[in-house]
Amino acid sequence: MFKIKFFFQQSWLLIVASFFFGLLIAVANAAWQGKILQNEEDKFNNLAGEMLPEAASFETALEEVEVDLGKGKQKAITIKKAVADDGRCVGWAFKCEGSGFADKIKLVLAVDAGFEKLKGFGVLASNETPGFGDQIKLPFYRNQFIGAPAEKLVLSKTGDSEKVDSEIVAISGATISSEAVVHIVNTFLPQIKNQIQTKGLVGNDG
Amino acid sequence: MDTFNTLLLGFISVVLVNNLVLTKFLGICPFLGVSGRIDMALGMGLAVTFVVTLSGTLTWLIDHLLLIGTPLEVTRYVCFILVIAGAVQLVEMYLRKFFPSLYDSFGIFLPLITTNCAILGLCLFINLWEVDSLLDAVVRSFGAGIGFTMAICIMAGIRENLNLADVPGCLKGAPITLITAGLLTLAFMGFAGMIR
Amino acid sequence: MTDKSTVPAGLYKDTLLAGLWRENPVFRLLLGMCPTLAVTAAVKPAFTMGCCVIFVLLCSNIVVSLMRNLLKPHLRILMFTLTIAAFVTIADLFLKAFQPMMSEVLGPYVPLIIVNCIIICRAEACASKNGLIVSIVDAVGMGIGFTLSLCVLASVRELLSTGAIFEVQILSLLKEGGWFVPWAAMSMPVGAFITLGLLLGLVNLVSKKGQLKG
Repeated sequence: MFKIKFFFQQSWLLIVASFFFGLLIAVANAAWQGKILQNEEDKFNNLAGEMLPEAASFETALEEVEVDLGKGKQKAITIKKAVADDGRCVGWAFKCEGSGFADKIKLVLAVDAGFEKLKGFGVLASNETPGFGDQIKLPFYRNQFIGAPAEKLVLSKTGDSEKVDSEIVAISGATISSEAVVHIVNTFLPQIKNQIQTKGLVGNDG
Repeated sequence: MDTFNTLLLGFISVVLVNNLVLTKFLGICPFLGVSGRIDMALGMGLAVTFVVTLSGTLTWLIDHLLLIGTPLEVTRYVCFILVIAGAVQLVEMYLRKFFPSLYDSFGIFLPLITTNCAILGLCLFINLWEVDSLLDAVVRSFGAGIGFTMAICIMAGIRENLNLADVPGCLKGAPITLITAGLLTLAFMGFAGMIR
Repeated sequence: MTDKSTVPAGLYKDTLLAGLWRENPVFRLLLGMCPTLAVTAAVKPAFTMGCCVIFVLLCSNIVVSLMRNLLKPHLRILMFTLTIAAFVTIADLFLKAFQPMMSEVLGPYVPLIIVNCIIICRAEACASKNGLIVSIVDAVGMGIGFTLSLCVLASVRELLSTGAIFEVQILSLLKEGGWFVPWAAMSMPVGAFITLGLLLGLVNLVSKKGQLKG
């Protein structure tokens, strides 16, 4: 009995403080959680909207699609359908990720309505070396993906970066980062294409 | 074995490629303060390795069993730091009672380690890297400790020689240590991109 | 405990200025090195980090100062840590909500403010022993000193690695028709360590010259 009293005498401030701070954090969280989630959505929508300008909104087409990343790892992603004002499908967009030179690279990949050609990619998050790997965000690299066929791409060190085909020219001084982007596309694109086609979502409009 | 491969790669990645001190800027305070002599550096490094392995494992467990996906997730930082502080306290008491000789050699560093960025930093990075298995978390925590020990011992070795070199007055002490650390970082950059 | 009316007049000014130069946390006390090196690749993240630290320092000093008479000696550090962790969580949530880009760039270094030696040291050395106003002034002084030091370091690094400061282009880049070839090394860990080392040396030089003169 005395031990418990002693315990409380020593630590009552700790207990009270814990409650107080817990409450404070809970209030802050409740107040701002909506905004935080909205920021994530906005980021995705902005990038996808940039690549699919006719889209008025993005609807969720398929949720929890399992993508096999190799080495026994899996990732569940959501495929979004880009819908124009008149309700017609103008493309598809989804998040994908993989390991880059430094840490993970997270991308948004946009494909045209028939899943035939890529509409490009946007970088959601990356920690690549500024001035080198960071250049994957620049137009001259991203433009190579626009119009490329929606199948496995090949990275090469030299070549014509203006030519629109499945060959992607790596950024000089940033081979690993360029490779990482191509690898991510090659991992996710065929599997997503497969899922979309087996579910019969492609080809029913636009 | 595939698992063994993943674990080995994870270990090497934390020790060399993503070395906590030289690429993530964690644990700089002890790095500058204690790396005067190799024996002290080794003691500090071992203490850190011990604590970080324990903390990394505990925080991973708490993260995955209690926090992820629940509304309690927002209290992550508070939980982590309390777990780390508690773990260090327990380790210190345990060592003092049962292994007094070990306590004499590196016990004095233990209270310093609680506010060491490296421990909390590693727990947060393990959370960031989305490490899936307990074994992977243990291996990476251990690797982080080893990486820290390695960096601090290399630094101690260089500093012992620096003391005898002709360093300009205003650069003596922290400045020249930082510049040396910078050059070490440059050397370690060679490991980047080794693991995919 | 000192009564407010008997506090010497110069104490507030002295405390404030101490944080700015004489006891500057980064350049003289050598505290809080980890975020200093990590976030100073550009001025914007450095400034954001500085503001977060000011917020947390202020709040924690206020709380600790208010409860300084109630603290039990052996639970002291635990209480400080709990307080700081709570305010850092709030700061982190705020950043994620209103400055998501900065939150991405700063990443795990925001929660690392919890173990930033500056805040715990000020709580221990100042807030737990002094009244409310002195603690506030101390927090503001240290916080501003820290922010200024970070910004100075970040300006050097950003200027040399991209030719811009706070994303405003100052030196015209070679590939845009100018003359400046950016030093990419400045944005990497190498640049961080070496710049900080040289700046520290400079500060030592200046203060030593000041000592000789005075």
